[in-house]
Amino acid sequence: MKCKSVHNKLIFFLEKELPVSEMEQVQKHLDECSECARFTAEMKNTLQILDNDKVNDENPFFYTRVKERIAKQAEEQPAVRPVLVRILQPVAFSILLLLGVYGGFKLGQAPKANIAGSGFTEQEVIPYWNELEAEPIEAFLMK
Amino acid sequence: MSDTDIIDQLKQGSEAAFKTLVDTHQKLVVNTCYGLVQNREDAEDIAQDVFVEVYRNIDKFRADAKLSTWLYRIAVNRSLNHIRDNKKRKWFHSFEDEVAAKNREVMQVSTSNTDEPEYELENQQRAIILREAINSLPQNQKVAFTLSKYEELSYQEIAEVMDLSVSSVESLLFRAKKGLQKKLYKCYKKKCL
Ligand SMILES: [Zn+2]
Repeated sequence: MKCKSVHNKLIFFLEKELPVSEMEQVQKHLDECSECARFTAEMKNTLQILDNDKVNDENPFFYTRVKERIAKQAEEQPAVRPVLVRILQPVAFSILLLLGVYGGFKLGQAPKANIAGSGFTEQEVIPYWNELEAEPIEAFLMK
Repeated sequence: MSDTDIIDQLKQGSEAAFKTLVDTHQKLVVNTCYGLVQNREDAEDIAQDVFVEVYRNIDKFRADAKLSTWLYRIAVNRSLNHIRDNKKRKWFHSFEDEVAAKNREVMQVSTSNTDEPEYELENQQRAIILREAINSLPQNQKVAFTLSKYEELSYQEIAEVMDLSVSSVESLLFRAKKGLQKKLYKCYKKKCL
């Protein structure tokens, strides 16, 4: 067995996952090749770190922290909103948005027609805007 | 108290049942998160969120499902999200760069702490290489490897958690080990520390 093929099998050799014959071949090479043997030792030491790397101690405050998070999240977003409000609110908002877009187009067209027709001044168009602003948008968003 | 009992009681709003669930599964969840994010603090942070999710979604938990499988899945998903969110600032660093950067941190700490034995430093450096090698694995391989090494799950159990066939898990673990081996050899050859 060549050094290169030993390198390719080393991790499986260390994990004892190779067929018996290959285990023996790798072992034989390692007995003869000091370079590969050195790398094997290093790799073994590195992989062994995994065994001690696990979290073995428990955090005694863990449960308290979890409870704190649950309490905090419940505070931030009160989940007890009536279903009707949860559904109606976005619907109402969408309708309002569509009305707004529609109104916008209307406004865009209306002044032009008026100006062309009877020569309205800019000031006379302004009331349209004011009326639109008076729409109680916030009221729809509140309970 | 069995998992089924815990869940039944939790569904009825039992505080004690929730505490039992957290206490008995804390290690499982923290360890899984730790294997994936390779940072203790982050792992505990994510693990806490896992249990918050369990608390909030206990009603949706199927009675015939396995609690641990569910916990593993939430832990894996949340850890992967965490990695994804943190990746943006790291994507341009190579494996060797990361190892070298981490090593400088360790060296700084250990030179200020003179009575630290040398083998301790060597092991710390090995830990860095290993950590970065694991971090550089593709996502699915990393998940399979973590569940196998940190939680010592069987191929069958990993397959359940990941919703894959046993042979896919075998293949993932095979490739994960190959990948690690390659990284470790590269580091050894180049003396990246
Ligand atoms: Zn050799």
